[in-house]
Amino acid sequence: MQWGHDASWTRRHFLRSGAAACTVSLSGWLSRLAYAASGDPKRTRSCILLWMNGGPATIDLWDLKPGHANGGPYKAIATKAPGLKIGEHLPKLASWGDRLAVIRSMTTKEGDHGRAAYLLRTGNLPLGGIDFPTLGSLVAKELHREGADLPPFVSIAPQRFLAQNAFGPGFLGPLYAPLLVADGQRAALGGANNQGVDQQLKVENLQRISGVGADQADRRLALMRNLETDFLASHPGAIADSHRSAYGAAVRLMHPETARVFEFASEKAELRDRYGRNLFGQGCLLARRLVERGVPFVEVTLDGWDTHANNFDGVKNLCGVLDPAWSTLMADLKDRGLLESTLVVCMGEFGRTPKINPQKGRDHFPNAWSAVLAGGGIKGGQAVGRSSKDGMQVEERPCGVPDLLATICRAIGIDSEKQNMSNVGRPIRIVDKAARPISEVLV
Amino acid sequence: MRWRSALVAGLGVLLSVGQIAAAERPDATSLAAEIDRLILEKLKTTGVSASPLADDATFFRRLNLAIAGRIPVPSEVRAFLADKAPDKRARAVDRLLASPAYVNHMTVSWNGWLLPEAATDPAVANAAVGFKVWLRSRIRENASFDRLTSELLTYPLNGRALADQPAGDGGTDAANGPLAFYTAKEGKPENLAAATARVFLGVHLECAQCHNHPFARWSRDQFWGMAAFFGGIEKTDGGTLREIQGKRELLIPNSFRAVPATMLDDREPEWQYKKSPRATLAAWVTAPDNPFFSKAIVNRLWWMLFGVGLVDPVDDFHDQNPASHPELLDTLARAFVQSGFDTKFILRAICQSQAFGRSSAIADSAAANVRLYAHFPMQGLSPEQIYDSLMVLFGERTETRGDDGQRRQFLEAFAVSGRQTESPTTILQALTLMNSKQVGAATDGQSSRLLGGVLKLPGLTPTERIEAIYFAVLSRPPRKAELDQTLAHVKGCTDGTDKAHADVLWALLNGIEFRTNH
Repeated sequence: MQWGHDASWTRRHFLRSGAAACTVSLSGWLSRLAYAASGDPKRTRSCILLWMNGGPATIDLWDLKPGHANGGPYKAIATKAPGLKIGEHLPKLASWGDRLAVIRSMTTKEGDHGRAAYLLRTGNLPLGGIDFPTLGSLVAKELHREGADLPPFVSIAPQRFLAQNAFGPGFLGPLYAPLLVADGQRAALGGANNQGVDQQLKVENLQRISGVGADQADRRLALMRNLETDFLASHPGAIADSHRSAYGAAVRLMHPETARVFEFASEKAELRDRYGRNLFGQGCLLARRLVERGVPFVEVTLDGWDTHANNFDGVKNLCGVLDPAWSTLMADLKDRGLLESTLVVCMGEFGRTPKINPQKGRDHFPNAWSAVLAGGGIKGGQAVGRSSKDGMQVEERPCGVPDLLATICRAIGIDSEKQNMSNVGRPIRIVDKAARPISEVLV
Repeated sequence: MRWRSALVAGLGVLLSVGQIAAAERPDATSLAAEIDRLILEKLKTTGVSASPLADDATFFRRLNLAIAGRIPVPSEVRAFLADKAPDKRARAVDRLLASPAYVNHMTVSWNGWLLPEAATDPAVANAAVGFKVWLRSRIRENASFDRLTSELLTYPLNGRALADQPAGDGGTDAANGPLAFYTAKEGKPENLAAATARVFLGVHLECAQCHNHPFARWSRDQFWGMAAFFGGIEKTDGGTLREIQGKRELLIPNSFRAVPATMLDDREPEWQYKKSPRATLAAWVTAPDNPFFSKAIVNRLWWMLFGVGLVDPVDDFHDQNPASHPELLDTLARAFVQSGFDTKFILRAICQSQAFGRSSAIADSAAANVRLYAHFPMQGLSPEQIYDSLMVLFGERTETRGDDGQRRQFLEAFAVSGRQTESPTTILQALTLMNSKQVGAATDGQSSRLLGGVLKLPGLTPTERIEAIYFAVLSRPPRKAELDQTLAHVKGCTDGTDKAHADVLWALLNGIEFRTNH
């Protein structure tokens, strides 16, 4: 059914609401471009962001300082790539060393969780008035396919509390809002809820109300849209756009073929074990499934890195989750022929102090920290940039957030200088024009 | 303006709050007229014309959502529509402000602003039970807001445990309440200073914690000077909070510098022997001539009703974020002080204004700037408003106090951030309203109380059945075109009239009108 014919609508509203929303029904006749994963040479690239929430102690993960007082108790171990060493608690990732590009010279100025997360996730500091979109939305807008059933941006287990406005599409509009899976959920380490990970990752309400057949569902949806047409026309704006967009996306998500992406029944138990039967591990598995179905951007959050006390226990435990999950993700992507077309990014909002505090912890430290890129478009097996012996400064090749984001754009084949219209009437580039991509890590 | 001269006289003799003679108390209706005068004055300069007033049904629903936090029941709507009294809108405002639903809604609202941690931290949520009891009792007695603020800020911390708070009502339980504010902030001076500044002064101080604020004028020293008022608070070995008396300075973490407790306007604190620093802070915050307090509170009340503050964001007053109507903000702030910090008075005045009563329809895209108030800003319903409205709809209205699991789950699923005037609908919300078990039960002719009434009540015409559904879901009668469409749907439905009516109910529930305050 067509509902864009109302003459009082402006073209802008029509575009913002998404033409795709018009031709959708609940009965599933819409052709779903089932994306052949490996065979398609023109396959657009995807990006998986592994978001280390809380500011990970990268000095214990990627850029160790053994022999120095700031180094702490952990050693550096060799990886598959000669000359590249990483932390001893990431042994499985070490065997993927030839695919990892470690950037050891990230430097920023924000030490507050909220501001730093906003900066890393949008490329900008919060500026009153402008609703900057998060990276996932920026990428989703460039790489989404018309007629896709899955939303182009999925966020798994996000922790949005401290930086609520850094997880949305901002001025790009509701079409590029993330589907949130396991929103705000934490690793269920025998937690109070006692929920299995499968339950945490479940998308609720994907099936019609029982007793409502496909035809009735179509009819009531059509009735709903007819009845609200006048109100939408007389109340244009963000709320109206978002409402229409969300319902369109929800209906598409309900198609049984599409909804199945969230079910793990078809996955071998052995593989699930290798990812790790925890929220992050199974979240990475879900990310692979989504990427396999053509979703351009998936982020998976691993929370708990804010180790002001007992940093070394904390890091070890978290590595126990990160190491198997990410290494299995690499292997899984490779096995399915997806690694060349999937960029994996691992970063948090800042690093942690080289100086160890009296509680055996490390505090916030944006001055010198590491981020890691792997997979599609990346020349692995190297470390770029260098921090000082004590870890306190960047000594060589400092990289700012725009540089990193521009690099990510290059790796997945989008133009970082492309402009989008913002909510304050001026066009804003995906990444600041002054950014210098870290070409050393690009293929 | 009679009330203005009263204000001037009142200010002159202002000795202490609460002792203002009755004859000098400001009048809500006059304040409402002043609100409108200032709004229209600015509108004139832009050339945008004000929208007409909203119709009765729209106004009544809007008022219920604003004051009671939920939609009205059909019988109330019909009674209001049938009422012929010329002042029925003003009387509806009074009725609602006197209702238990108002107490509930304000309690939930202030609880959310003072204890945002309760939404995400189960430990704080448990402690918040007592906090809500205390809040509710103060709101029910319409305690003056300066008194409420003082009580919160000066709550004695003497190592008492939070653990044994019974969940009942009553004096002693209410007295335990404010403690949760301190435990939620972990007793840390910097957290307490930041929260106090945000809610009671409208100032976003936290950024100045590590370095001078990027664009407001707050310096790092000022942040820690404020925190120093809470500097005596510490955690005991048992995990409870207590306060070392008389500590008036604070050591900045990771430095060797101590900063004395200082007010944000750099005034000298009026220390008194044996008076806790927090009492000195509270006295300064709630002083009638404090430039921040009254503005911050009235601005927040305005934001609660309009979805956008005169200063927006509401807790971020600074030079680059000026008020849209500075004189109006000043007027409201002065009236607030003059009234003895009476929040109900401010709400009453705003709800009586034409600005609040205008239609939200936009005829002209130039009028789309909500901060002109040429039309009423349409807002998304808060998760609490949606849930409580659904309960009204499903016939399960309770002035509930407990937080049951189902409600909390729903609130989490529907939590959104950002401006109310741009509230997004998420995919998950759409799925919930389309497919959840509760909606399924409510739209099933057998199990739904509402549908059961519509379908089984004898003597209802087809039109009356549709009307009943419209009154229940949208709190208004259907328009002719809507009646035609829905009757046609019922008539042409091959699955039977039960399913056809269920469709209508479902369609209205999932439509944009239900989920917005317009």
